[in-house]
Amino acid sequence: MVTERFLPRADLDRLIAALAESGRTVIGPVVRDGAVAYAPIAAAADLPVGWTDVQAPGSYRLQRGGDRMFDIGPPAQGLKRYTFPSRSPLTVAERDADGGVRFTPAIPDPPRLAFLGVRACEIAGLLVQDRVLAEGPFVDEDYRARRDAALVVAVQCTRAGSTCFCASMGTGPEVTGGHDIVLTELDDGYVAASGSVEGDRILARLGLEAATAAQQADSAAGVASARTAQGRAVATEGLRDRLMDQLDSPRWAEIADRCLACSNCTMVCPTCFCTSVGMESDLDGATTKLERTWDSCFTGDFARVAGGNFRPRRQDRYRQWLTHKFATWVDQFGTSGCVGCGRCITWCPVGIDVREELSIIAPPYEAAPLTELPVIAGSPGAYVPATIRSVTPETADTSTLVIEPPDDALLATRPGQFVMVEQPGFPPLPISVSRVRDGALWLTIRAAGPATAAAIALPPGAQLGLRGPLGRGWPIERAVGRDVVIVAGGIGLAPVRPLIDAVLRDRRSFGRLVLAYGARTPADRLYVEELGAWPKLDLEVLEIVDRAGPDWLGRVGIVTQLLDQRDWRDRAASAFVVGPERMMQATVATLAAGGIPAERTFVSLERHMECGIGLCGHCQMGPFFICRDGPVFAVSELGDLFGREGI
Amino acid sequence: MTARTEHQRPRVGVVKLASCDGCQLTLLDLEDQLLPILGRFDLIEFPEASSLRSHGPYDILLVEGSVSTAEQAAEVVDLRSRTRMLVTIGACATSGGIQALRNAADEPAWRASVYPEPQFISSLATATPIAEHVVVDAELRGCPIAPDQLLELLTALRVGRRPQLPVESVCQACKRAGNICVLVSDGIPCLGPVTQAGCGALCPAYGRGCYACFGPREEANVPSFHGWLSRDRAPGEADRLFAGFTGWAPNFREPATRAVVAIEEADDA
Repeated sequence: MVTERFLPRADLDRLIAALAESGRTVIGPVVRDGAVAYAPIAAAADLPVGWTDVQAPGSYRLQRGGDRMFDIGPPAQGLKRYTFPSRSPLTVAERDADGGVRFTPAIPDPPRLAFLGVRACEIAGLLVQDRVLAEGPFVDEDYRARRDAALVVAVQCTRAGSTCFCASMGTGPEVTGGHDIVLTELDDGYVAASGSVEGDRILARLGLEAATAAQQADSAAGVASARTAQGRAVATEGLRDRLMDQLDSPRWAEIADRCLACSNCTMVCPTCFCTSVGMESDLDGATTKLERTWDSCFTGDFARVAGGNFRPRRQDRYRQWLTHKFATWVDQFGTSGCVGCGRCITWCPVGIDVREELSIIAPPYEAAPLTELPVIAGSPGAYVPATIRSVTPETADTSTLVIEPPDDALLATRPGQFVMVEQPGFPPLPISVSRVRDGALWLTIRAAGPATAAAIALPPGAQLGLRGPLGRGWPIERAVGRDVVIVAGGIGLAPVRPLIDAVLRDRRSFGRLVLAYGARTPADRLYVEELGAWPKLDLEVLEIVDRAGPDWLGRVGIVTQLLDQRDWRDRAASAFVVGPERMMQATVATLAAGGIPAERTFVSLERHMECGIGLCGHCQMGPFFICRDGPVFAVSELGDLFGREGI
Repeated sequence: MTARTEHQRPRVGVVKLASCDGCQLTLLDLEDQLLPILGRFDLIEFPEASSLRSHGPYDILLVEGSVSTAEQAAEVVDLRSRTRMLVTIGACATSGGIQALRNAADEPAWRASVYPEPQFISSLATATPIAEHVVVDAELRGCPIAPDQLLELLTALRVGRRPQLPVESVCQACKRAGNICVLVSDGIPCLGPVTQAGCGALCPAYGRGCYACFGPREEANVPSFHGWLSRDRAPGEADRLFAGFTGWAPNFREPATRAVVAIEEADDA
């Protein structure tokens, strides 16, 4: 049983002073520019004494009311800006005159803060971000350091605004955890209880009387009234599946007519964590600062890759945001991504109300099971210098770099995994590993843009930064004892080559081996010598090109034509497919017709990747982060997400 | 077009058409970076800063201003033919500028109302962005352009990568900066949600609404936002918000045109 004490109103300054001891900066709600925002405070007089707010869709107004200090709703932006700053440095990349590279990663240096006046929804937001950023599988070290260094003094709500719906989301108004001290405001003071050893210590030093039964009853009644005063509710039971069943709802297009895709909802959301890696380099590109900045799934560049945009329309982006927040977040993190603070409603410039949209889009259903993921330390700035041993042209625009990493970690790259490549002066690139051999990583890179062009123009001896190995590779163990069908389109031959190396190394563990390779023209074929040599190692090689010149004696057409006469129904076969998304869809259909089921057909997906470890959000597809959960998936795992446009 | 050896600095020109010179001044305002830039780029034409003149050819040409006269229309085609990479800088060059509001007006009547001897004025009926005349390789938005974006563009051209110029909304930069939204908290009309970032959310940071000097962002949903702004404002007030420095940009043109026509009708009445 937690002891409830009473902190007289006049003694709030003593609490603030106690928090500020040992060098903490106290962060609390203050009135600034027509709203309440979090800022450093020195005394209780800095709090919004006698202010209250009226929040509604697309509107926030302060007004005078009462003389309490915490009679306000969620401040304009949450504590996210203190625990997960809008911009934070990752690393400094430098290239010296000899072509070597050096990385100086940012070292977390968290400020010692004490948050005062934190609402239940706000704490819930911190706990959700803890799950995303600090509880694995990868950990954002800067975030974790900031969280570890902060105290949380909660104040339970005794009133609710029209945009509040914490009761629906099960996050408030009662504060049930994640705090060091919890207060409930009465007219003449605060009922106080501790939630941690540190909170206990601070309250004990204040020498407070125990709260009377009447004070405790007033406190409970105040919080209960905040529950009943909430506006529109959200029906959360089975919401995950109800929403995912509505990917084709006509409502998405209707919302997109109103939505500005301006990103305000994601910026004010206490749980949204998507970021981009921004860069700033000197005029020579010799020194490059990489920094992480808040980004948003509503922005045009967010899901853009060299070949186009995975979510070209506003309705795709709104659907991504809403289904992630309320559905696929549950799959990924075991909790809803919404805490019911209502900020996305208040601060939407055109007043779109998620509660209303959910009530229109969705009917009741059962919730889905959760998956536990291991915790792995990692950082989007943790590059190591690696030296280029050789550069070999493959086609007019594609070369293979053989790169020696400084230690064995990268040499443990498994077939189908990828690495992030950083060259000073350029943004990082995700690159599939095309072979691991003789203490080196082979990266086959097509000059699709300036950064890739610069990478393959580097001379032997020059260095690059590498980070990895990243992602889930080809599940070769699922093919042991079976026929293996490998289908590659264009540069897709690169990520399957380590798979070919692996099955040929252990040739007797597999049945018949077939490689079907489609290229645009004969001149675009990769690894031409190996294509000729593999049949001698008992790998059947089938080739086809889209367009041929007079020298081409092989087949002309699309890659599925190599496979549509094949029948694996009497043989257990596994298939591995990589290439442009449409080519993969057509191939999967052809293979299915030939008797290879979706459970044993594996595809490697491409998405916009920035961090490579599931922390930046760019590569999300339904419940998956492609970089962390993929890029390789069984087609059966993807279900009807596979091949769907705008996902 | 001449081939350039590796050892030569890129030949850079800065020229202007119909404009106020403010964007060119941004280059001079780079101050600390000016000497490093001059060490890496050969600034062969920049009347704002130097009396040395050249007629190219240019590796990089920064063009300020819109095409407002027949001479300028010919000049921009000629400049293009002598330039490898043509970069338009500022609201005038990228969307026509404030002078493009005349495009929606009755031009002869407007000319007669401003000049006592209108027959001596030989301007075109329209002021148009450079991209309506010649192919443009890159653009920097803003009135004036942002110094950090100019520096980023020069750096990227030198390093040989794409410049990192955000296509996000002003709101996204505004929220990152921790500003309180002037539209939601105070009802101040602010075009941030439909405007491309790059300015660092300068106006909202000082409690003013954004007036879209960086122009419409990708897919700006103007009909929705215009409808929302019109709810509790006088008729025509929302139109006038768009009739500014980038009013001739395709996404803003419809409400801006209505605003200009309404002003003319009021004058006639």
